[in-house]
Amino acid sequence: MRGTVRPPHAHGPLRQVLRIGAPDLRRFLLGTALGTAAALCTVGLLACSGALIDKAALRPPLYTLTLLMAAVQLLALSRGPLRYAERLVSHDAALGALGRVRLWLYDQVTPRSPAGVAGWRNGDLLARATADVDLLQDVYLRGVAPLATALVTAVVTVGAVTLVLPTGGLVLGACLVGGTATASALAWLRRRRLGNGEGALRGALAADVVELLVAAPDLVAMGRDEEYLERVLASDAELERRARRRSWSDGAVAAVVVFATGAAVVGTLVTATDAIAAHHLPSFMIAVLPLAALGAFEVVLPAADAVSRLADHTEAAGRLVSVADLDVPVVDPADAAPLPDGTRIGLEAAVLRYQSDGPRALDGLDLDVAPGRRVAVVGPSGAGKSSIVNVLLRFWGLESGSALLDGMSLDQLRQDDVRTRIGWVGQDAHLFPTTIGGNIAVARPGATPDDVAAAASDAQLGPWIDSLPLGLDTPVGERGAQLSGGQRQRVALARALLAGAPVLVLDEPTSGLDRPTAARLVHDVLAATEGSTLVLITHRDEDLVDVDEVVVVDDGRVVGRYSPGAGDGTGDGDGGSSATAARREARAAT
Amino acid sequence: MDRAVAPARGPVDPRLIRRAAATRHYLIGAVAVGLVGTAALVAQAVLLGAIVQKVLIGHAGVARTVPLLVGLAAAFAVRGLSAWAGEVAAHRTSSRVTSTLRRQLLARAVGLGPSWLAGERTGELATSATQGIDALDAYFARYLPTAVLAALTPVVLLAWIVADDWFSAVILVVTAAVIPLFMILLGLEATRSASRQWERLSGLAATFYDLLQGLPTLRAFGRADAGRATLERANRELRDETMSTLKVAFLSSLALETLASVGTALVALFLGLRLLNGTLDVGTALAILVLAPEVYLPLRRAGAEFHASAEGRAAAERILDVLDDADVKAGVMAGGDAAQGTGRGDRRHVRLLPDPATSTVRLDQVTVRFPGRAVPVLDGVDLALEPGAHVAVVGESGSGKSTLLSVLLGFTEPDRGDVRVGGARLADCSLRDWRAGVAWVPQRPNLVRGTLEDNLRLSNPDATDAEVVRAVERCGLDGLVARLADGMTTPVGEGGLTLSAGERQRIALGRAVLRDVPVVLLDEPTAHLDTGREDSLRELLAPWLEGRTVVMAAHRGGLVGRVDRTVTLVSGQVVETGPGELDRVGPLGPSGTLGARVPR
Repeated sequence: MRGTVRPPHAHGPLRQVLRIGAPDLRRFLLGTALGTAAALCTVGLLACSGALIDKAALRPPLYTLTLLMAAVQLLALSRGPLRYAERLVSHDAALGALGRVRLWLYDQVTPRSPAGVAGWRNGDLLARATADVDLLQDVYLRGVAPLATALVTAVVTVGAVTLVLPTGGLVLGACLVGGTATASALAWLRRRRLGNGEGALRGALAADVVELLVAAPDLVAMGRDEEYLERVLASDAELERRARRRSWSDGAVAAVVVFATGAAVVGTLVTATDAIAAHHLPSFMIAVLPLAALGAFEVVLPAADAVSRLADHTEAAGRLVSVADLDVPVVDPADAAPLPDGTRIGLEAAVLRYQSDGPRALDGLDLDVAPGRRVAVVGPSGAGKSSIVNVLLRFWGLESGSALLDGMSLDQLRQDDVRTRIGWVGQDAHLFPTTIGGNIAVARPGATPDDVAAAASDAQLGPWIDSLPLGLDTPVGERGAQLSGGQRQRVALARALLAGAPVLVLDEPTSGLDRPTAARLVHDVLAATEGSTLVLITHRDEDLVDVDEVVVVDDGRVVGRYSPGAGDGTGDGDGGSSATAARREARAAT
Repeated sequence: MDRAVAPARGPVDPRLIRRAAATRHYLIGAVAVGLVGTAALVAQAVLLGAIVQKVLIGHAGVARTVPLLVGLAAAFAVRGLSAWAGEVAAHRTSSRVTSTLRRQLLARAVGLGPSWLAGERTGELATSATQGIDALDAYFARYLPTAVLAALTPVVLLAWIVADDWFSAVILVVTAAVIPLFMILLGLEATRSASRQWERLSGLAATFYDLLQGLPTLRAFGRADAGRATLERANRELRDETMSTLKVAFLSSLALETLASVGTALVALFLGLRLLNGTLDVGTALAILVLAPEVYLPLRRAGAEFHASAEGRAAAERILDVLDDADVKAGVMAGGDAAQGTGRGDRRHVRLLPDPATSTVRLDQVTVRFPGRAVPVLDGVDLALEPGAHVAVVGESGSGKSTLLSVLLGFTEPDRGDVRVGGARLADCSLRDWRAGVAWVPQRPNLVRGTLEDNLRLSNPDATDAEVVRAVERCGLDGLVARLADGMTTPVGEGGLTLSAGERQRIALGRAVLRDVPVVLLDEPTAHLDTGREDSLRELLAPWLEGRTVVMAAHRGGLVGRVDRTVTLVSGQVVETGPGELDRVGPLGPSGTLGARVPR
């Protein structure tokens, strides 16, 4: 039942992320070309100015200097515009790539939600989505692009110097390679010493922060908020300690680059002096070589930085692509059957586990709901009622047994098709931070305001909405915080009514409502959905007056059935004795 | 929420500098080290010029330049070491400040209390507390030291240059003086755009967080595509916004870079001409040429770091608003406890709290309004809770029951009226002391990451094992514990075992039982339980509730078998108060009528 989709991991996570982001290759190349041109302007400007001054010092006729003077002016004027164009092009490419990575992440989470990503902490997910993706912005802007630019510029500069003076080229090349290699080695050492936990620590910090903010009411009421704050700040302190150690190696990298620059300047001066003494080199070149060396290192500096970031980038990329390794709990069949016409739904000997070694949430459960029938499922909390919903809505797959729609196994159907037939109101339904009307309209694209208002009134929201100054346009706040529990449930109910699926699964729809409202609501829902098939999950017997059949569930099995019309509490049917049964079993288990 | 109207602050924001006051010596260290590096730079230029002079004019070989070469190498060594030390000092400053800010922000957010947090978007606040503060690193570690050096280094260099060649100095001064002007002209606009961009980034984080949480709902309605479209739109908006910010931000660096290279080229050309005339020696000329770009560099770098820290400064605006504003509310919500971290003293005279076990708790004409709601949530509510009294508060959903409990907890400050404990106003007492005597079972309890046992012990870490076992039995969790392979050590909360709403609520009950407190507030404690469970839970809890002051908000016949009094709320007003056993009288008040719905 559980499908596994794994992308090929032939390449490192960084390359995989680069491929996901796949920024317009031509745009990226253009950016690199522009960057290289600008970098060469920097080197050229220094070298030409040096040559100009040296030549001028020998006091030749003015006309011999005009070419150098023109070159100096041209290089000075073109560097800025080249850099400007390069930055715009490469930033645009990087931002485009980032958007693609975010969408990729969403696409990866979608088929796994909610079961497949239950192991991810929500706050951590947020950290991944924002911090990691934003860190990957650096991959393009401060990683790949400067490396490519530096490499080309270094090769061109060394090549030019070699043409003038081979030993000078050798010295400059050696210093560039040596400096970069030492800086990279230092970065690598830092990674070995500090481990690769920084991104994970940041993720944990973000998760802790979200937990602290979400659980703040409980924590404050119990007087434990300060203690939890300290717990959150412990990971902050660890991050601070790492940043301090990191600044040491960052400083060392910067120092190494300066040392290497010094070596290149001194080295080229010595070789140039020797060559001039031996008349292998015109004397005006004495300042050109060290100045070219200075320019080359100015360009290579960001590359050393890029190398030292590579470890962080790889770590972030690794965490991002690890989503793709999680199992997808439910996979659509390759050749899906067309949706059957009927609305009979049921489960046959259904067995479900949330963790492979966990307890059976459903343990051979049978359920059959004929078209047009209203069936209530009752039982103590933890009995498996919500698991029935998860299976019928194809959020979870069965370990064995089958879930059926009109006699056809749900495995053979596309999930989205199933969900057009089976509507849903969840136990603690999620409201989006938009308006009341917006939250209802989610259920059906293109619903008119009248449709939305009708659904709202079917869900008994009418009088309340009329009392609001903004009516359906009233914002609900984050997670519907501005609404009471009952109001939230009714918005969710209106949403399901708007979707208009012929089968409706209501998971504890009245849990936040007072008794008369709940009774009225159930009555109205039953009336409003006359003719549709209905599964009502509830723990409240007062909801059961109007249903055709009551199925009592405990420990993942059906333990009793009765019809409310045939007298109250027949057989095992009433909640009290099922609770007693649960207690009896619990005692037996200890 | 238009950040564009936020006051554009100068290059150095005084509010942020105040936060950095504790780390001033690190900042001074970073600047001192930077100046040593500048001195080494001058030495390097002079030595390079001298070597070139000796070789070019004096026709010297390597042997005669060795002392100069050694000096040159030493200058580079000093520069390298100062770069190292500067990096370390800058990061010290930054990590101290960001850690302090993070602590203050979170303490403040928690201290401001649940009703404030309910209005904020958790994702956005979390982003501010993590990424936002991380972004401030660019401000403290990079921008601040460079800004100070940008003011000092050019002066030092120009002082040296003017002594040798006033003409080059004039070119440099004129072109360099334009740089701050450009920075001001273009920088302000860029800062405004960057603020808007930060809003977008926070907004995107919140959108993304919310979409991922709502994915089950979206999938149920086959609308995962709509969520994707929302994300796509947010992506596109962020890209457009960022690009238009960058077009301006980069324009300023284009101008600066062009100014710097044209200035350097001009210096080079005029140096060449003066060399031709023989009015300057080549050593000095070369030294000036090497130093010319270095005059611009600190200015350009400060400009670049200013832009790079724009995101951090925009985040700082928001963080500092939370820290510095809303002070009136903060004092009340935190009871003067959590507010200490902000350096704001307790502005109220804290009275000693009378013992809640022996004092009557009284709501006195309490009125609470929510912004944007025409009708008050609580409207002049009077309620007296004698020690040991069991009071049920009933009413339709949305009638103000939860708000009433929130007021009793000190989460919501009444807009009018008082909560009194004995003779003292709750507003004058330490809320932390008050809450130490109150147990609360919320409608939607939150679990923390940890085991089942951790979550129970949350309310009382010092509870003995026997007490925990008794609490588990009292709240009817023993069945669940027995079913779990790992029992009490099963991980719950995010990433752990998924618990039903009913189970979560019983954990909250268990938390309450573990605390031996005189006042118990129950917010629909059995909303998620079936009738059988509710009956047995009532039997189990009755002995524990005996003798404690209990307020129970309920839709229906509740946990507190016998109540001394039933208060009925309709639209935030007490419409009926009567004695009686809740189950007998029903949820609608003793007379069994809902009362006329209050016409609006």
